[in-house]
Amino acid sequence: MKKILNAPSAYVDETLAGLCAAYPSIYKLSGARVLARASGAVQGKVGIVTGGGSGHLPVFLGYVGDGLLDACAVGNVFAGPRVADCVSAFQAADGGAGVLALYGNYGGDRMNFEMAIEDLTSDTFKCNSVRVADDVASAPAAEREKRRGVAGMVFAFKIAGACAAAGGSLAEVTAAAQKAADACRTIGVALTPCTIPESGRASFEIAETEIEFGMGIHGEPGIWRGPLKSADALTDEMLDLLLPELDMAKGTSTAVLVNSLGATPHEELFIVYRRVAEVLGQRGIRIVMPLIGRYATSMEMTGMSLTLMPLDNELERLLQAPADCPFWKV
Amino acid sequence: MDAARLKDALSRWAVAMDKAAPELNELDSRLGDGDLGVTLQKCAHNVRAALPAAPDSVQGILKCASQACADASGSSFGTLFASGLLAAAKWLDSRSLDRTALPELLSHTVQKLSARGGASLGDKTMIDSLQAITQALSKAQPHDDLVALARNAASKAIEEFRDKPNRIGRARMFAEKSIGMDDPGMVAVLRMTESL
Repeated sequence: MKKILNAPSAYVDETLAGLCAAYPSIYKLSGARVLARASGAVQGKVGIVTGGGSGHLPVFLGYVGDGLLDACAVGNVFAGPRVADCVSAFQAADGGAGVLALYGNYGGDRMNFEMAIEDLTSDTFKCNSVRVADDVASAPAAEREKRRGVAGMVFAFKIAGACAAAGGSLAEVTAAAQKAADACRTIGVALTPCTIPESGRASFEIAETEIEFGMGIHGEPGIWRGPLKSADALTDEMLDLLLPELDMAKGTSTAVLVNSLGATPHEELFIVYRRVAEVLGQRGIRIVMPLIGRYATSMEMTGMSLTLMPLDNELERLLQAPADCPFWKV
Repeated sequence: MDAARLKDALSRWAVAMDKAAPELNELDSRLGDGDLGVTLQKCAHNVRAALPAAPDSVQGILKCASQACADASGSSFGTLFASGLLAAAKWLDSRSLDRTALPELLSHTVQKLSARGGASLGDKTMIDSLQAITQALSKAQPHDDLVALARNAASKAIEEFRDKPNRIGRARMFAEKSIGMDDPGMVAVLRMTESL
């Protein structure tokens, strides 16, 4: 294993310590495995909590900040957060106006958040849940509830965060988050795996000359495995999968995220974005505030994902509202 | 089953989990995140540490073990195992755990696990193993060795499901590839029954 670390067992805790040391005015630990806003819960604002495994920075914890999230329960690399940490995250985010749990659609994360909510049930604590399931390769459209959450989570965080910052009620923030979660679709392609620190194992195995189209961020099997194709051919194939699921007529608008899974450089992301802009332009679809960079990763995995989120007026306004965390400023 | 015997059984369970960890990691790395053995080892470590201070009742020990497992990890299997122990503890309440109560207790636990994790019978998970054990124990005669019955049932369940696909969780996505492979969670249940 070739990784810059001290001890595999300290990987997550030392990452958290470094984040808090770098950005003390934004982050603080609220329990060993809960990252919260340094200034505490915002009184009167709906809190938004998320949680999930480590190894995906900036997802999940990185998006704690103004106009975004309030607290995050942090698990080991690629493992769900503990129930007790989910409970602490809810408490850290609760400003008295209710809390939305907004996280990716993974069995373990769902169980842990549901158990935390059962622990917290009281007359004064109000809570809703929205799960993001945007990975089109992880199940067919007819079984959308089985799809897993990937880079589309970033858009859901932004939309829900903006709604909460603007004073939205718990019902309004939940509806906005659900709208974003329902709207976004993502497809990824993987070139090389990452190594999980505690096991020292690669997240998947693949031949030097092969890529896997549709592979999930933890190495879940995708749609096909084969020789590398050109950027334009890959981009076209991605759009061919995403566009039929989205109702985007001429003259409509969409958000676009071209995301590196970790090791793929910005250069290659812009080569892909160039083609995305070309194809959507030909169709008369307007791109609002494109995001190109590392927004949802799998440590040093090579590969990228493309996310589209068609926008109505409300989503467009919330997407462009101010937000501030160390990884994303709007 | 009294408190002393349960503590003793959990100690043996913990040793077995340490021993089974490499095998379970290996099996899980083919279909899952490869951390099932690590997860159960962490559970075993926490349970071992918590046992000396556990209350002197079957229910108290189960609750204590559940908490210890929940604190060990947020992995799906760890969370499910913790909620299974808690469901068993709550069901017991003031009942005593004897031979005749065991199938009913297991059946209740299977229902709770299924509700929590979303798996149904036939999905090729530990639920199928626990259901097979429940059925075997419910047919037990007064002088049968219950541990042997459970072990056989867990072993047969693995064989029965070997050539079926996984239908839930990360393993679901390997559908065809999972045919012919033993489900890591089902193997974990077998290793647990062997430790009793």
